[in-house]
Amino acid sequence: MSRLTKSYVKGVKVSERHGAGEWVQERLSSLILVPLTLWGLWSGWMMSGAGYDGALEWFRSPVNATLLAVTLLVSLWHMNMGLKVIVDDYIHKPASRTALLTVIGLLCVVIAAAGVFFIVRLALGSAPLPAGFGA
Amino acid sequence: MSISPLPGDASHDPTPNSGQDQTGRFVRQPNGRVRPLSPHLQVWRWHVTMLASILNRITGGALSVGALFVAAWLAALAFGPDAYATYTAWMGSPLGLLVWFGLTVALCIHLAGGVRHLIWDAGEGLTPKTADVLSWLSIVGGVALAVLVWVLLFTSGRVVL
Repeated sequence: MSRLTKSYVKGVKVSERHGAGEWVQERLSSLILVPLTLWGLWSGWMMSGAGYDGALEWFRSPVNATLLAVTLLVSLWHMNMGLKVIVDDYIHKPASRTALLTVIGLLCVVIAAAGVFFIVRLALGSAPLPAGFGA
Repeated sequence: MSISPLPGDASHDPTPNSGQDQTGRFVRQPNGRVRPLSPHLQVWRWHVTMLASILNRITGGALSVGALFVAAWLAALAFGPDAYATYTAWMGSPLGLLVWFGLTVALCIHLAGGVRHLIWDAGEGLTPKTADVLSWLSIVGGVALAVLVWVLLFTSGRVVL
């Protein structure tokens, strides 16, 4: 698609590359996170002082486990965009910026993968790790 | 100046001894062009919108560290009762509770700040007065929510020092 056809929508100037997409993603993730954050505060309240058994009990609910996984993933998505803005603002050397953004991105992916792995195991009531790691 | 210089035209250097500008209002860029500096932080009169903006960035950074704590919580839980006992012992210590209180404050300020930004992005509340009011509301409301949560945590006995 040519840039010229994309740069105006209904006579209004819009971004020609990816700026608008990032703007929309930031707002969309914020919008999703507003209710999830309130739910997260409530969940933290429920599990405070509940101990190991109380936490496991909480994970038995598929609704809790699913909402937590969604909260984690959307939070990491939002966090990655936020940290990118900070790095872009303060790190001016292109090589350093790219390196830092790569590290941050990898960290987010690792937390996301590990987090979902743990949530799934807890939701299924799997045996504690590392015993039966694959079970 | 009689004629306005073309943007970036070094031959119309507004400072007589370029590079030795004492006003701090111009800067010679690496390519030799002289450009005006945008007004810096201390030029602006302080506004609560500045504090709200700075707080949103700082709390966002703090919450990124908080994400690691949450990931560690999931790991501790998945690794069984012993790991979880170690985790709760650390996080239940006075220092741990202080950190979690700080994270709660950061979360609530960032949440309220996010709602504020969504209101602004919808095109509402953008006059200087309403922007100030929304900024104050998000800061005070965020801190109040966090304090309320922790008062309830202690009074209900869910958290003990």
